[in-house]
Amino acid sequence: MLTLVIGGAASGKSAYAESLTLKLPLPRYYVATMQVWDEECAKRVEKHRAMRKEKQFETIESPISIDKIRIPNRGIVLLEDLGNLTANELYDPKGAGVNTAEAVLYGVEILHKQCEHLIVVGNEVFSGGAEYADETDLYLKALAQIQNGIAARADHVCRVVCGIPVYYKGGGKV
Amino acid sequence: MVFITGPLYSGKRTFAQKLGGTCCFEVQKQAETTEDLEALAKILSEKYDIITATEVGGGVVPVDATERANREKAGRLACLLAARADCVVQMFCGIPTVLKGELPK
Repeated sequence: MLTLVIGGAASGKSAYAESLTLKLPLPRYYVATMQVWDEECAKRVEKHRAMRKEKQFETIESPISIDKIRIPNRGIVLLEDLGNLTANELYDPKGAGVNTAEAVLYGVEILHKQCEHLIVVGNEVFSGGAEYADETDLYLKALAQIQNGIAARADHVCRVVCGIPVYYKGGGKV
Repeated sequence: MVFITGPLYSGKRTFAQKLGGTCCFEVQKQAETTEDLEALAKILSEKYDIITATEVGGGVVPVDATERANREKAGRLACLLAARADCVVQMFCGIPTVLKGELPK
């Protein structure tokens, strides 16, 4: 099963995606994509990791190359989020660069094969304009290709608005 | 006429081409260069079977006055086209939602 949960900044998408995960049987894995740059990032990562541990999540840190992840036991995987992952793949010297969209879509496929249910959190950033500088446009194009690609394959596509899930596909019986 | 709106890169063009018929894409750009949006909406809706426009009003108000005016015009034109359309579709992540009328058979 594949579910895409998408929403704007502070829309409640993470909390909703997590609530879906908590309804499903263990084991439970969380793929975190944040790049750790400094002490402040490291502290935040540590805090989130501890919070998720209480909810019986095992955290796997993977800012790039999610196709290399091996999930120890079949269960539920929550991947968060595509906006971060896309930026990391595009801008990290070790990332996929111009092949970012293909690399992330391939990684999602590999993750999906290793679990019962993959829940992916995406970002709604496409309603603020149509013309962007080259670098930003490249990022938006890659992110759209990834999210639209996942939506086409997903069993459920859900947009979270003010904390309320609106299903575009699959009807919400996750 | 079918009017297709939606965020940037949400699959509007792909969906329009699947429907078939004469298409005019990204009409928000045409709004920028006209003073008479009513006339533009009339011409476009009489000439084409399918019209697409990108939603550009969902971000922060632009600092630049021209960009601000263009965003305003894009939104107004979209409203005028939607009012004239037999069917209005909003795309999201490549998924169409019919907001008005019915898709042509």
